[in-house]
Amino acid sequence: MTKHRITRRGALKASLMTATLAGTASLFGPWKSNRVWAQGKKPIKLGLTCDASGQYGNSGQDDMRGMRMAIDEFNAKGGVLGRKIEWITADTETNPATGTRVAERFIAQEQCGFLLGAIHSGVANAITQVANKYGTIYMNTNSSAPSEAGENCSRIKFVWDGNGTNFSKAAVANAVQKIGKKWLLLTNDYVWGHTTAAATKAEVEKAGGQIVDNLLVPQNTRDFTAYLLKVQQIKPDVIAMAIGGDDIKALRQQIAELKLEDKAAWINNQQDWPDIWGVPETLFGVFGTNWYHKLALPGVPEFVKRWQATYPKSPIPVPGNVSYNGYMATRELLRAIEQTGSTNNIAIIKALEGRKMSAVDRMQTYDAYIDPITHQVQQTIYLARRNPKPADNTDLFEIISAATPEQAMDTASLAACKLKPYADVPTYEQ
Amino acid sequence: MGLLPHLVNGFALGLLFALIALGFMLILGLMEQINLAHGSLFALGAYFAYAIATPRVPMPPDALQAWAAVPLGWRFTAAMLLAPVLVAPFGVVLERLMRRTYGRDPLYGLLLTFGVAMVIEELIRMVWGTRDYTLAVPRGISGGFLMLDLIWSSYRFWAAGFAIVAMAIVWLVIERTRFGALVKAGAHDSEIVQALGHDLEQLRVWVFVLGTMMAAVAGVILAPVWGIRPHMGVDAVIPAFVIIVLGGVGSFWGAVLGGILVGMVVGLSGAYASEWSMLSMYLLLILVVTFRSRGLFGKKSVLEA
Repeated sequence: MTKHRITRRGALKASLMTATLAGTASLFGPWKSNRVWAQGKKPIKLGLTCDASGQYGNSGQDDMRGMRMAIDEFNAKGGVLGRKIEWITADTETNPATGTRVAERFIAQEQCGFLLGAIHSGVANAITQVANKYGTIYMNTNSSAPSEAGENCSRIKFVWDGNGTNFSKAAVANAVQKIGKKWLLLTNDYVWGHTTAAATKAEVEKAGGQIVDNLLVPQNTRDFTAYLLKVQQIKPDVIAMAIGGDDIKALRQQIAELKLEDKAAWINNQQDWPDIWGVPETLFGVFGTNWYHKLALPGVPEFVKRWQATYPKSPIPVPGNVSYNGYMATRELLRAIEQTGSTNNIAIIKALEGRKMSAVDRMQTYDAYIDPITHQVQQTIYLARRNPKPADNTDLFEIISAATPEQAMDTASLAACKLKPYADVPTYEQ
Repeated sequence: MGLLPHLVNGFALGLLFALIALGFMLILGLMEQINLAHGSLFALGAYFAYAIATPRVPMPPDALQAWAAVPLGWRFTAAMLLAPVLVAPFGVVLERLMRRTYGRDPLYGLLLTFGVAMVIEELIRMVWGTRDYTLAVPRGISGGFLMLDLIWSSYRFWAAGFAIVAMAIVWLVIERTRFGALVKAGAHDSEIVQALGHDLEQLRVWVFVLGTMMAAVAGVILAPVWGIRPHMGVDAVIPAFVIIVLGGVGSFWGAVLGGILVGMVVGLSGAYASEWSMLSMYLLLILVVTFRSRGLFGKKSVLEA
């Protein structure tokens, strides 16, 4: 048996291996690097993570229209801090894995200072994980899963849309009393559907109602016959739907074809404008939104005109809530950069937390603010139904109520969200 | 709690699935080529039908108005007949491209048709954009009707009936015409068939055209049910593939029975275990193939169909 001698070569090799391992171990995070790019009048680069295909492809493009309008407005005034705002976009395909890849590429390779976008809550969460690693601020413009303001909240992420709980709170208690106690849930089988259904269930039970069944609808379901047959067999008082994108369009069509909209009360959680436009005759029931282009509020007609002038060839002729959220998120981000005087991410996060935005500024009924605990924008929540007397062919909604941010507040998320301390967030400046 | 309505729904859905699988089966069974562009041809059929019926074609405005004034029933029929004809040239081109892959590893054919599928889908996006459309259905066959105390969609049953007719026609062509016999023989032994003086190349083109037109017809029929969007082809080609493997490659009746089984499974799971409805057809496939690796009616030779 040969004696195992520790040769010098062996020792060198071992230490080299150890050093490499130790060095690369830091690659697996958490990053705490401080990165500062060269100063000077470099442009500020925004990464727009928008779907161009998949269940939310239409909405993703509408989201981007709002963002680009805000960017153009700032660039027309000379940019921000004298720096031009540049942007790039890529199709996140309504797919979380794609969202991860796009976010990674935007930050690591394309050197984007900020990310904006996402409608699908799974995509939003995926992007948040990536942005978290680098400390990149991410404006989640249009996701509505309560989880994104709750357990998936993040110090670098800000949620601009109302979520399932907000809309349920605005709609449910009233409906249990006025319409009936027997509720059926139709739920898109992913995080937004589940968390929204859970929120609705909580509200229904609190108001004294009962959920008789929760039918899960896989994403990209095209044929809802089995569900509609069950609905007719169960005969609930109210059917609460948490279904989005292309799926809700197909479902509404099939319901309208069978004239089932009169057979029960249908409550849709939130209806995105792109999901309604194109098949308005299938719009029925009560649903929520956070903005409408015909709100009788100052600034709304001017905003609509500006948007139409910017996008004369848009497939949707007027802006809706999705475009509105994209615009608002981008505008506030750029304002925050201007106010702070730098692109330091911690400074901007602090400028956004607790930020008050007036009703007039937001073109909503009540003042809004960015909640410092969950980073969700607490805002007016509207309930609407199909307009029986439209003023023109875009006047599809009749707004029936407006809930204050306090009335619609998602209290569960306040408890579930745990933001990490500023010291744990990698800093950067672009 | 009323199983019967869901059985009926599943059966109707199954007939629609069988219709979708038909064109795929033709090309795979008779030529042993896997045509992954089947889904995109399906989509193209739907889009052309939309363009013809709505109408949204580049025509002078007077002609357009005159056509729009024609009753929807006629426009829909015209769309049903014309759309497959418009999609057929794509089949011809595809067949020509496929020639280099004949006799070689089937993977080449698969890759080629996959590439063509993506090209066609992108073409659709370029011409019609990414938004989705609906194909209007004539009043006579739309709306609901009452059966078993429940409201059903008239159009679905009409479509299922149409599917039966289409399958009957395809069966007749394969089993009772000289054309069908020649193609089957050519798939089995091309040398002898050519030695007997038949132009096998021409025959293959015809099979492709027929398969393409079937895909397009399925697209037109399914469009009012499923909606029209650029990646709708995926909703067709994946079930078609599952159905063919389930039923047995090369078997007509396998495709029919496979389609009906898939429809039943999807329909029933949609009612009783809805989160499994999309997955159920794959579970069924795994189950069948585990016990019968060639599928339900899988045969050694296509001549035994």
